[in-house]
Amino acid sequence: MATTFKTFLNDDTVTSRTLLHEAIPITGSIPWGTYPIAGAAGSNIKEYTHGMFQSVYDYPYLSSSANHIFDLTIGVSANSSLVVTNQLAKKRNIYNQMAQVLVGYDATGAIQRFDQDGDLIAGGVKYDDLIFINFARLLGKDEIKKGTFQITVDTTPAFCGGTYGACVPYAVWPYNNPAANLATDGQLIIGDQGSPGTTPAGILVEWPSAETDYRVNSPAGEYGILRVQTIWDPAGPGPYVGGADYLGLNPCWEPACGLIFYQAGVVALSKDIFRAYVSPGAPPCPDPILEANRGKNDALVDTDMGALGVFIDVALAVNDIDYLCTAFRNRIHEICFNNTTELNSTIYFCRVNHNDFNYSSNPTYLHNSKIRVKSRTTDAPISYITTVGLYSADNELLAVAKVSEPLRKDPTNDITLRVRLDY
Amino acid sequence: MAFLDNSGDIILDAVLTDTGRARLAKGDGSFSVVKFALGDDEIDYELYDLTQPSGSAYYDLEIMQTPILEAFTNNTSILKHRLISLPRTNLLYLPVILLNQTFEGNATSTVVAGTPAPTGVFLIGVDQATEDALFAATTFTPDSSGLMMGERPASGGGYIRADQGLNTTEISPAFTLDADLVETQYIIRLDNRFGQICNKDGELASVSFVDDDNIASYYFSLGTDTQYVHENSDTDTLATQVIGGPRGTFVEFKVRASLELNTSDYLFDVIGGATTMTIPAAPPNETYKFIDSMIRVTGATTGYALDIPVRFAKIVVP
Repeated sequence: MATTFKTFLNDDTVTSRTLLHEAIPITGSIPWGTYPIAGAAGSNIKEYTHGMFQSVYDYPYLSSSANHIFDLTIGVSANSSLVVTNQLAKKRNIYNQMAQVLVGYDATGAIQRFDQDGDLIAGGVKYDDLIFINFARLLGKDEIKKGTFQITVDTTPAFCGGTYGACVPYAVWPYNNPAANLATDGQLIIGDQGSPGTTPAGILVEWPSAETDYRVNSPAGEYGILRVQTIWDPAGPGPYVGGADYLGLNPCWEPACGLIFYQAGVVALSKDIFRAYVSPGAPPCPDPILEANRGKNDALVDTDMGALGVFIDVALAVNDIDYLCTAFRNRIHEICFNNTTELNSTIYFCRVNHNDFNYSSNPTYLHNSKIRVKSRTTDAPISYITTVGLYSADNELLAVAKVSEPLRKDPTNDITLRVRLDY
Repeated sequence: MAFLDNSGDIILDAVLTDTGRARLAKGDGSFSVVKFALGDDEIDYELYDLTQPSGSAYYDLEIMQTPILEAFTNNTSILKHRLISLPRTNLLYLPVILLNQTFEGNATSTVVAGTPAPTGVFLIGVDQATEDALFAATTFTPDSSGLMMGERPASGGGYIRADQGLNTTEISPAFTLDADLVETQYIIRLDNRFGQICNKDGELASVSFVDDDNIASYYFSLGTDTQYVHENSDTDTLATQVIGGPRGTFVEFKVRASLELNTSDYLFDVIGGATTMTIPAAPPNETYKFIDSMIRVTGATTGYALDIPVRFAKIVVP
């Protein structure tokens, strides 16, 4: 009996799961340097009339070629010590919305606050003023790969408009009180990749990579602790000129500075990344100077966060979300991470035995019903495979695969074609 | 001793067809891969050169150099010709399916006048006015050839017949076609927006399914659909036979125009011919809107396919 189909047997199909990773580098020039500023024609920054967040695209957003990269917004908790006078309700709404989704509720049904170490029950340090980076699904795909995230933030005004090109309207950021900008007079490299360091006294301070150290008590999936991995002082004044890593010299500096939610594709950064810390000297911790300066809106300890030398606490209190997003955007030096796509595949083993598919129904196969590739009955029939079709029981073509060159099939050979269908 | 090169391991990435995606979206379990078929749509077997002086290794040199196209995702545009499994390797002839136009009323039209001339197609009048006008026209040779009644198929008009067998003069039709080469099931596909398959008495056939491209598939089996599939027991060399050698079966059917074509000009205006068709008649000349399409008859067993051109016509009422 002639047939043109072959039915799969039980051992002809197998399913597999593959994690596919892509490296995603976002250079700082995309959020602040390449295209006109937000609001100008041809800008890649989209602002909204509600003013609750900004969207960053890789190309002028009015173009159909533009891809959404991430959104930026600011959230302030009701527990914040800041006296917010601008968009208080919206900043709280953002914080609560993000907290609802990412942190969840406590036993009483109250929205929980973002916690520094992820231990919600134990209390500890809470993040009440956060910068949120919500990565588009286009980049984050199924999840951000743990232990690969890194963001480099320029913490000195000298970078913006100087070393890394124009970032109008914040082109000239006054270098406010350079003598005070010690460690923050440079870049913070923040990530979840682990941060080994050694104190002057030889005490090892090692933060494990989120690849093996992450939290699972979020309703939005797994999350990791973001820590300051390096503090660079490549250009400004101070004792760490030329690329010294300040972090390793200061065991009392708390390197945790945010959270990263891998499946949700959200990064929450503490405002404290824009605070300066005076070298505390030798252990023991906590360093009294550091603790004394924490949270102060003091020109000696805070870093500029605005066109007019506004410090972070002041900026959060008196400026709107668009302003703050623009200020932060202009300080992004680089973001990089690997995303993860979960591929579920079914592999069909198309087993073509020696006596299968040796003839063809191609109209050119015959001339007056005679097979062209044979001159006598004893010649072996030959066919050439170019396409594999996967069919339903009612003969509907559901999927198709192509070979790169014709495969010769005759009774002397058998072929197993492995056809992978990804979902 | 060198290592064997195993870089040629064949793993192919498949893409879902539009029908596959549609079934997957349904979520009703209709997406289930149960079998596979192989195709060779790009291959031109005329390039197989049995006279190649360099030897048999060079017979298929040009075939093996055929560039392969990427996969189409339209289920009706790919795998039009499937490879066939036959346990026997000593076959020199394979059956084909040919359009039989030798009977009265089942030839494609041949017109001596008309613009554009509807030659070589089955012309289907989609409403009664069109049927009357076409059959009143005197330009068809022989009279009324290729004309089918789309609204009243039971009232007469032509029909389509496709014969299967070995079309060769090397083997006498007196021989019986080998049982494994006899086509026992036919699949007929046409655009469901234009018409439906019916038998010669005008009774509509049950459609098996309509895919996402509006292509309806009808299955007709020997012994089950006795109005459609018949054994061809004629073993003589007759003028009414198009298969020169041993004969298998034949399928015959008519087409009933869809209600949409019957009652509306919309499809004619959207996907019909750019111009109207004029056919001379007792004065004045009649003008028609038309849609050209194909009906595909495929042997479910042997995989051989035949495309039959049809033209759905509708008279323009002044």
